[in-house]
Amino acid sequence: MIKHYDLIVVGAGPAGLSAAIQAANCGMKVIVFDENQRPGGQLFKQIHKFFGSKEHKAKIRGIRIGEELLTEAEKAGVEVSLNSIVLGLFQIKGISVMRDDQIEHFRGENIIIATGAAENVIPFEGWTTPGVIGAGAAQTMMNLHGVMPGKRVLMVGSGNVGLVVSFQLLQAGCQVAAVIDAAPRIGGYGVHAAKVARTGVPFYLSHTVLKAEGSDRVSGVVIAEVDEHFQPIPGTEKHFDVDTICMAVGLSPMSQLARMAGCKMVNNGGAVPETNEYGETSIPGVFAAGDVAGIEEASSAMITGRIAALGAARRSEFIEEPDFERQYQACVDSLNQLRQGMFCKANKGKMLTETDEGYPLSMSLLHHGYMTEEELAAVPTVDSHDTGIHPVIECTQNIPCNPCQEACKFGCISVGENITKLPGVVAGSKCTGCGMCVANCPGQAIFLVDETYEEGYASITLPYEFLPKPEVGDLGGALNRQGIRICQAEVVSVKSNKTFDHTMLLTIKVPKEFAGAARFYKPETEAK
Amino acid sequence: MKEYLDRTIDIGPYVPEADDDLIICRCEEITKGEIRRAIHEGMFTMTEVKRYLRTGMGLCQGQTCGRLVKQIMEKELSKGISTDGENTARAPMRPIPMNVYGKEAE
Amino acid sequence: MSVRCADMIVVGSGIVGSSTAYYAAKKGMKVIVIDKDGVIGNGGSSRNGGGVRVSGRLAPEIPLAKYAVENIWPNLADELGVDIEYHRGGNIRFAFHEKDLPALENIKRTNEAYGVNIELIDRAEAKRRCPYVGDSVVGAAVCDIDGSANPLKATLAMYRAARNLGVAYYSGEEAVAVQNVRGKARRVITANGNVYEGEHIVLACSYQARALANTVGVDFPFRQKLIEIFVTEATKPMFDFMFSAVGASGGAYGHQTEHGSFVWGGDSGHEHHPIFEKDTFQCIQPTASAISRGTMTYFPALAELKVIRTWAGWIDLCEDLVPVIGPVEEVPGLMVAAGYSAHGFCLGPVSGKILAEVAVGETPCVDWKPLAYDRFKSIF
Repeated sequence: MIKHYDLIVVGAGPAGLSAAIQAANCGMKVIVFDENQRPGGQLFKQIHKFFGSKEHKAKIRGIRIGEELLTEAEKAGVEVSLNSIVLGLFQIKGISVMRDDQIEHFRGENIIIATGAAENVIPFEGWTTPGVIGAGAAQTMMNLHGVMPGKRVLMVGSGNVGLVVSFQLLQAGCQVAAVIDAAPRIGGYGVHAAKVARTGVPFYLSHTVLKAEGSDRVSGVVIAEVDEHFQPIPGTEKHFDVDTICMAVGLSPMSQLARMAGCKMVNNGGAVPETNEYGETSIPGVFAAGDVAGIEEASSAMITGRIAALGAARRSEFIEEPDFERQYQACVDSLNQLRQGMFCKANKGKMLTETDEGYPLSMSLLHHGYMTEEELAAVPTVDSHDTGIHPVIECTQNIPCNPCQEACKFGCISVGENITKLPGVVAGSKCTGCGMCVANCPGQAIFLVDETYEEGYASITLPYEFLPKPEVGDLGGALNRQGIRICQAEVVSVKSNKTFDHTMLLTIKVPKEFAGAARFYKPETEAK
Repeated sequence: MKEYLDRTIDIGPYVPEADDDLIICRCEEITKGEIRRAIHEGMFTMTEVKRYLRTGMGLCQGQTCGRLVKQIMEKELSKGISTDGENTARAPMRPIPMNVYGKEAE
Repeated sequence: MSVRCADMIVVGSGIVGSSTAYYAAKKGMKVIVIDKDGVIGNGGSSRNGGGVRVSGRLAPEIPLAKYAVENIWPNLADELGVDIEYHRGGNIRFAFHEKDLPALENIKRTNEAYGVNIELIDRAEAKRRCPYVGDSVVGAAVCDIDGSANPLKATLAMYRAARNLGVAYYSGEEAVAVQNVRGKARRVITANGNVYEGEHIVLACSYQARALANTVGVDFPFRQKLIEIFVTEATKPMFDFMFSAVGASGGAYGHQTEHGSFVWGGDSGHEHHPIFEKDTFQCIQPTASAISRGTMTYFPALAELKVIRTWAGWIDLCEDLVPVIGPVEEVPGLMVAAGYSAHGFCLGPVSGKILAEVAVGETPCVDWKPLAYDRFKSIF
């Protein structure tokens, strides 16, 4: 028997689950198929806190967002069918699925394709050697299976995926030899780069992999600088002893189902189905949402999923027009917030030199992953220089994010209506040193500095997400933004509580002259 | 694809490159040089290269190499010849054993 | 708008059209090939099971098939300079029901009338020659000279060879009409507004040949049917020969390729009545399941192999299931090679050779007259 549904969603990632919830809440009979054992798509590998605002589930870790979506889906009555491989999208919106070792045929009044994206690779000599892996594979190994991908890793790609995964590799206990990128500038958020750089990982921009060494598995890598045509420059070769080369060189939409169904395709970072403002493809009733319709962040995928579901609900008259208009507009507004800022599509390829506020953009951040003290001083929102404990907000690029504003119960930090504006300390406000801003900043870019901590010493409270948990009294190295040890640091406080969501607030004591430079703590076993 | 293509166009001779032995399609072990040679033998579309060499015909069905083959083709055919984009998407999206394919639920 | 002239204008870049162009160019003719698709040979030439067979063919086409199998295919790889994976491993046509045995005897009779040897074997011998066939087998017909080739490579190799001889190809160029000039077919007009002019107009474009012939008052009794085939993962060498099941429900025919994968075709019953436009190549939802069941029934040893892709193509069925080949007398200058009814791959090269020979006034290698257009005169 061929089973009919009001809506069939393919893919239980952020877009698919959000779509299913929205559609079920409109009264549609919905089934979601996903080939994986667990739903959530990539969300369950995302152990970092998300950007955006509260409605985008900012400051919540991806894995938690996945759990929340699942609970919502269950409540809404969505049928989530896992271990279900969709074989194809056929005529009259037929979907064939393999589950429990047999084939089932379905027809959907509406279909939402939310199959996400797959990782790109770049070929180089030895790229098929074991030990050359994708960043997604590295995340799966670490975050789903608790396995270290390697001991020492070279990360290829400095986009957000490369930066986030580099940090996760460090958290998992791997060494990251370097982050390289053929582009002349770091592609991801400066705050992501900064948290990698301050652990001591070097960045090599305008560099590419020449070859992976090793026959049975990777034993090393040779990189070289590239010219403006991305051709390696002889004589610039550098060698690293690594056992893993991790590629984070972009994603391609997995649009096979749309292509198979005969949807009109266009090129948008790979072949994607052409869609209207509601995500509907050239085939009436077949929608696309999330990365398969164009690569974006998971936060955007959740909204495009909801939009497609609203489109489907409206098409099959499960929603009244005024309700549709209201909810659709809310989604569009929310999406537009995320699609602004320095890294938005409109700015792609542009060489910006100033923030929206007119402050100079840090070039060091774009080239090396950290800001110089001079550059920081040129951005007035960073440090209020108030006496006593106060936040230093090293967030100097316009990105759509505002949890810091919500985090401070005392109203010390303001971003404003436009969430891509730089956060700043509100004049006349009084910091209590609670550290909520430090813990909630998804970019780990806020520090509490108290230059009057003790005679000759300053305290720095920083976000810390590494094990083992430092103990009060531990001695270690204070590292600057570049990851260079500048002085000894003593741990004077370690706080963790539920609202910090696994981010520890580590307070270290350093000689006062290092208050503006010390931004990371590295345990030194021999120092004990 | 239905795009008009004048195949009398001269794209010049095949000139060996240093990285011609680089594997591009890892499922079928097809090198960059083989792909470039095929293009110079008149295979001007992704589909033709695939049929001629088996690029993208292995277990992953071109998910990995499709983009790479396309890049090589675009570079080689820089004289205004457009390639037909992507490998054709075909069911099943994942390999399915015949004894499962043949078992349809009641 | 361009006007392009040559001695011969071929419509259709598949194995038939490219072979015609190749053999004509070898004889010194200037040839242009146009195709409505942007991809060379994207019709039946790239969408078939790769059979290079004589057995199971109908009487009027057997002389062509025999010539092709004996004289063309064995040398084609060398001639074209591409390994087209031609392999003459024979063909075994299995019967799984007593009622189907007469069909095998009929095949033997038909083929032997043309000097093609067919061996009928019993159940035990069938099992001996093919340990993988199901226990329900009751007998088989074996033809030693049959074999298979890689249709994708063979078609493109023919295109490549023709192009190397100077044949001009224009793809994405849909012919919409043939025009007579002073009582002779002379021009082909395309949807892009281009004009191709030549002494000989060859319609080698399967079902579309009908609509084009219509523009000069000629019709062929063709219709279309979808075929579907699936391809499995590669496995160890198991079958050296082409195989099929006579009278099989769900269908089963195919071969194991040099690569190790099985290429396997069959029907679900929807093929004559697809719900989509006939210029698309979509698969029908239940067909791959149907073919799988056929395989599991007839060749259970293959049941665990994974299917990695399925594809569909259109076959142009002529009313009497054999092609229309040769010049159309009433319209001088017009030649046709279409309506192959699923046998075009094997017959493509020999058809091209015949048309080229006719075009230059030579005696053709095989008499095409039994397949001529005017054989329908008495029917209609």
